[in-house]
Amino acid sequence: MTQRPTLWLGDQEVAFEPGETLLEVARRHGKEIPTLCHDPRLKPAGACRTCLVEVEGSRRLLPACATPASKGARVTVESARVDRHRKSLLSLYLTDHPDQAAMRERKRPDELLAMAERYAAPTDWPKLDSLRAERKEDPNPYIDFDAAACILCARCTRYCDEIESVSAITLAGRAAETTISTADGRSLLDSSCEMCGGCIDTCPTGAMAEKRPIARKSKHEDELVKVRTTCNFCGVGCQLDLNIDPSARGGAGEVVKVTSPPVGTTTNDGNLCVKGRFAYDFIHHADRLTTPLVRGADGALVPATWEVALRRAADGLLGVRERHGADALAFVSSSRCTVEENYLVQKIARAAIGTNNVHQCAAT
Amino acid sequence: MTNSIGEIRDADFLFVIGSNTSEAHPIIAMEMKRAVHRGATMVVADPRQIFMTTMAKKHLQIRPGSDVWLLNAMAHVIIAEDLVDHDFIQNQTENFAAVREAVRDYTPEKAEEVTGVSAEDIRWTARTYATTERAGIYYTLGITEHSHGTDNVYALANLVLMTGHLGKPSSGMNPLRGQNNVQGANDAGATPVFFPGYQLVVDDEVRRKYEASWGVPLPPEPGLNLNQMMKTLGKQLKGMFIMGEDIVLSEPNVAKVEEGLSSMEFLVLQEPFLNETARYADVIFPSTVFAEKEGVFANSERRVQLVRRAVQPPGEAREDWIILRDLAAALGAEWHYADAAEVYAEMVKDTPKFAGLSHARLERETLAGKTGIQWPCVSEDDPGTVYLHKNGVLRGKGLFTAVHYRPSEELPDHEYTLVLSTGRTLYHYNAATQTRREEGLFTKQGEAFIQIHPRDAKRRGIADEEMVTVRTRRGQVTCRAILSPQLRRGSIWMPLHFPEARANLLTNDAGDPVTQTAEFKVCAAEVERAETQPPRSGDGPTFRGSYYREPLPSEA
Repeated sequence: MTQRPTLWLGDQEVAFEPGETLLEVARRHGKEIPTLCHDPRLKPAGACRTCLVEVEGSRRLLPACATPASKGARVTVESARVDRHRKSLLSLYLTDHPDQAAMRERKRPDELLAMAERYAAPTDWPKLDSLRAERKEDPNPYIDFDAAACILCARCTRYCDEIESVSAITLAGRAAETTISTADGRSLLDSSCEMCGGCIDTCPTGAMAEKRPIARKSKHEDELVKVRTTCNFCGVGCQLDLNIDPSARGGAGEVVKVTSPPVGTTTNDGNLCVKGRFAYDFIHHADRLTTPLVRGADGALVPATWEVALRRAADGLLGVRERHGADALAFVSSSRCTVEENYLVQKIARAAIGTNNVHQCAAT
Repeated sequence: MTNSIGEIRDADFLFVIGSNTSEAHPIIAMEMKRAVHRGATMVVADPRQIFMTTMAKKHLQIRPGSDVWLLNAMAHVIIAEDLVDHDFIQNQTENFAAVREAVRDYTPEKAEEVTGVSAEDIRWTARTYATTERAGIYYTLGITEHSHGTDNVYALANLVLMTGHLGKPSSGMNPLRGQNNVQGANDAGATPVFFPGYQLVVDDEVRRKYEASWGVPLPPEPGLNLNQMMKTLGKQLKGMFIMGEDIVLSEPNVAKVEEGLSSMEFLVLQEPFLNETARYADVIFPSTVFAEKEGVFANSERRVQLVRRAVQPPGEAREDWIILRDLAAALGAEWHYADAAEVYAEMVKDTPKFAGLSHARLERETLAGKTGIQWPCVSEDDPGTVYLHKNGVLRGKGLFTAVHYRPSEELPDHEYTLVLSTGRTLYHYNAATQTRREEGLFTKQGEAFIQIHPRDAKRRGIADEEMVTVRTRRGQVTCRAILSPQLRRGSIWMPLHFPEARANLLTNDAGDPVTQTAEFKVCAAEVERAETQPPRSGDGPTFRGSYYREPLPSEA
């Protein structure tokens, strides 16, 4: 076996794979390095400067996310110099960032504020008047952008380029007026945007947020319960976290929004599509059937109790079997339903009725 | 899929055929895009320009229904230029000679005439596929929804086998499943020929096992499949139970389906919403949606994953497994299950492929930071199977199957001059029972439409966004026309989602002789400008949907 190259993290000698960055090596060895512009799915940008570390021989601090690990390097992750730099940097960010109360209205966590608190960055620096161009209200149904909360880390635009690859949003404007926009500021609806919502998922501050929880004044994400489950649309099997307000609907619980599990943990790698992330209103839709229905003598469907409906269904099916035999009955199961439900339908067809006439839309 | 989704990003060559991946499987498309960004070569064969063709090295804009010609010509090139994997063919396959003989006359030049794809592109694609180590094939219903769908799949499998692109990471044959649990529904035995775990109904030993387990005698003859059911409604079939499918929207040639339904004696539905089929139902059970139930789905890569109850169902709606247990009891079969996990445990007990799986184990996997297990998984300590055929072809020898081109059942003629294909869009899902109730999706794409080449439209006096009538021998619908140079001339395309313009009034229910899968992708149709032209609700080009290209002046 060939010897893997090593470097030093403080006084610890660690091996690395060629091509790894200092950030990857450090995190793999349990060292905490804060980042804002980093997303493992994206190429390093080195933009936010929160991950700066000391590397012996380099006059300046270097961004761990964009610095390749090199043989024999001596890296200091935590030092008075790194801490001093980080505090100043975070305080600078805060001079141009809404406060905690304003950010709560975005209904999702703000990593910048959390980081400033964790590293005890001074919060009393004078506030600046932001020059950033505010985007006009966009009529798209899902994605809200608050320019004031944006730190221009460009995770959203890079995600749109590198992962979803539709390049719908971009950094626009110059210098202090830089902001996130579409080409010529048109609505997302008329851009190449496919509403995957990856920009919301990757945004560290909540500048990109989902419109509905804000409009509906839902609870903040940290007050919701997340239930991990499997998406019910296509066959990819994405894992998603249903964000539940357990006290809503008289304690029956309500799906307030859908988020993707952390990057690198599931098949979908933190990604979701427009349907998986946003098409959840059908769950609590007023059109849902809430009681069994049976067809009355006048031909109309009328509500019935479960007991009546089950009896009527069983008698109807058994009646057909008696008159025409078991093979006059057929069971259409569903590739939308669970394995267990499909198992029970085929078992009913075969064992309770006595026919192999059972199938589902996998035929088509 | 013989490979896993996570392997896609490491592929060096992706041959995508009959799959509008970025709309039908957006997350798999993201993995393909990552591969391309990394430097992989992608070739997309599709009658339309779609988003994926913009990222492809080559777009083979094939004439609908001519896939066998394309694939056999690729095989012809690979054999003629001796790019086959001799060791793999020798050791792991049988019947290669038959295919070599069969494809002899499928020259790229002749293929060009039939498919519309240049001989040069066919040669290039064949060579690049054969000579790239990590080369995967990805396909979906564009391959299977034909009266020769099985032939298409065999033709693809022949390419895989002759190049030895099997049993290796990122290298295999990957049908992308269209629905969340197509894989699982088949795994569970909801098919007329198999018990759970693909154990044949006609196998006496298997049947005896289930007779012992379930304590009743079981019918020995295979049952009707879905397409056959639809054709015998009201005739052989007098009663039906349907769970979670709106057949009046989803099945081909629905006018005939509705005629059959109206002469049925008894129909039971189990649904979360009233749907079109409900008009014919005698009893409807209110069921639950995925957020309200416990169980598992199996995805395209055979990964079994938990579905967890997050909220309570509305009113008196009940979890489907409870309804089914109670229905069985009303039918006289007393089965005792305390929860979905017990149903699952009963299923795996008699299916060796899934023997190592249980809800409890899947829950432990999640806690350990992993998600689901890919079957085959034969015991508690079996980690599952990431890609198939690793230790040699599963059936012992990979079987080459010679296939010849058969035209689609219904081709254009002087009365119906166009070829109609149907499909899914990014913003809706099948019968749209769910997505139609999601307002935002309707903001993006709110009404039915048909895509037609600007020149085909011009000849018929149709302007962009005008209402048109689409006719086939089976029915007609009215919807808006989108003029788009993304289509081949002579081809039109429409989505199946919209109840106001049901594509399946038009489609042909001719089925593949083996699978009975209907020919949703090819039928003869004609389009004309509608007499009344109601104004569009809303403005702007938003409803055009996912990927749209304006006509160039030369294409108008």
